[in-house]
Amino acid sequence: MGREVSESCIDGLLTEMVSSYCNRFYSNTPELAARRIEAIGYQVGHQLSERYTMERPRFTDHLEAIKFICKDFWSELFKKQIDNLKTNHRGTFVLQDNKFRWLSRMSGDPSVENGTQDPESKAAQAMSMYLYFPCGIIRGALSNLGIPCAVSADISSLPACSFVIRIKV
Amino acid sequence: MIVCVAVVGHQNNPLYIQSFTEADDALKLHHIVHCSLDVVDERVNNPKKSGLTLNETFLGLLYPTENYKVYGYLTNTKVKFILVTTDLDVRDADVRNFFRRFHAAYVDAVSNPFHVPGKKITSRTFAERVSNIVKSFGLSSAG
Repeated sequence: MGREVSESCIDGLLTEMVSSYCNRFYSNTPELAARRIEAIGYQVGHQLSERYTMERPRFTDHLEAIKFICKDFWSELFKKQIDNLKTNHRGTFVLQDNKFRWLSRMSGDPSVENGTQDPESKAAQAMSMYLYFPCGIIRGALSNLGIPCAVSADISSLPACSFVIRIKV
Repeated sequence: MIVCVAVVGHQNNPLYIQSFTEADDALKLHHIVHCSLDVVDERVNNPKKSGLTLNETFLGLLYPTENYKVYGYLTNTKVKFILVTTDLDVRDADVRNFFRRFHAAYVDAVSNPFHVPGKKITSRTFAERVSNIVKSFGLSSAG
């Protein structure tokens, strides 16, 4: 029996969470706000990975666990799989999503687009705050599967987004 | 009859241990659970020797003692479930079914936002659910 989650509620919750942490609780220290948001994601990922790996044979290596994140885990969260997975076979994995759901409704402000470089980087910085939550989710899920790692995200062109996973040895 | 169930974390820290006997033998049962952890480690580290394939979560019968049978289950997140029973003819399917339901209960318990990962599970709902699962163990085969 699957339970349904309202997508717009999740979008609203995410927006509100990021704006609360960035503008109210830690308005002067964006690094601290980022860490708090990442920590929330970590807990979510930690719990979700427990649920989604039920009834599934144990993973033998890191690649299998990462594949699980790309396919099943991502499908459960975003109803689609990761579009591209790259690895250097030395513990770094790049997961690319060509239309990341949580960014699909975002756009830069067109009025400042033809201005100087400054507003653009500001927009990128604001946008990156929204990516700490999914980064935390990935890190939480992998740590629970016994793979300690660091996850960062970067936005190449707007709805596309890539997550870089560096496994700690 | 199931006499003891336990949840053991990935660092072999006890997360939940509960015995279901009238007698004062909790210590003995805890000792049995403790001993089984080594067997779990051995199974997982030498999958070829123990004939374990496909990395199944269900580890099967860990070892029989004079009065008890001990079964194990290891989740993807390296959490171990241990079951001690006095029944001598236990069907594998029953045990699998037990662990499946037990795992579902565990997942719901750790998804509680107030649960701290790695700490003991103190939820009363979880305890109740587990005792229900324990009570219904083996009933499907009898009926």
